Amino acid sequence: MNVDDTDQELAAIAAGDADAFARWLSRAERPLRRGLARFAAVADTEAVLQEALLRVWQVAPRCVGDGRPHGLLRLGMRIAQNLAVSTARRHRLQPMAAGDELPELSVEPIAMHDDSVRLAISRCRDKLPTQPKAAIAARLDDVGLRPDHELAQRLGMRTNTFLQNITRARTLLAECLRRAGIDLDLELA
Amino acid sequence: MNADRDLLVEAAISAHRRLDPAGEVQFHPAFHDLDAAGREVLYAATRQQRALERALARDGLSATAHAVLRRVRASST
Repeated sequence: MNVDDTDQELAAIAAGDADAFARWLSRAERPLRRGLARFAAVADTEAVLQEALLRVWQVAPRCVGDGRPHGLLRLGMRIAQNLAVSTARRHRLQPMAAGDELPELSVEPIAMHDDSVRLAISRCRDKLPTQPKAAIAARLDDVGLRPDHELAQRLGMRTNTFLQNITRARTLLAECLRRAGIDLDLELA
Repeated sequence: MNADRDLLVEAAISAHRRLDPAGEVQFHPAFHDLDAAGREVLYAATRQQRALERALARDGLSATAHAVLRRVRASST
């Protein structure tokens, strides 16, 4: 099996290895989210993606490869798109059909974490004004564990103030990073 | 972009999602208050935010991945 094939983690994931699932996630999340782009107006793609990933974990022991790479990822894409359609219907939003054709899967090689990018982001974070810096740090450090009103309360902010500070922080960060030659919009390319 | 929409988008960028009684991940409440254009803005901004999170994390995992892994690990114990 090619080392760039995300299915190299499949056997361990199927055996219940959450660390292997984490490695798979580090490469699978981005193409799966991209595959939900056409549902953005009718479904909360973050919720759909999280639910799809939980289902991938549950069905992985029954995933049988077909000889092509990224079998679990292709299965995840199918699950995510079908979920987007069904949840949009449940919320009485007009869903687009998932269709028979899956979008092209563009999976990057095994990530080589770029310390220079991390350092540049950290430097830009350090330059943020106090309140926006505290707000975005709370959001980043919490990694989706708590709702915003709890994070805001911990910082002694009203929820709307907290959200305004994060928006300001993200805008300033993006500007700082652009000046450093790092464009997060490339993620959307 | 207007201020109200900014707040709704910012709220829904969070990876925090509640589960419904059946244990399924729920839509963020703010999503329902956004119009179609706002939801497209949300999608793009979320992708950018997750890219930032992955770039910052030594394990390359975003808040989405951490949220999923917490539930996976909780269900395994």
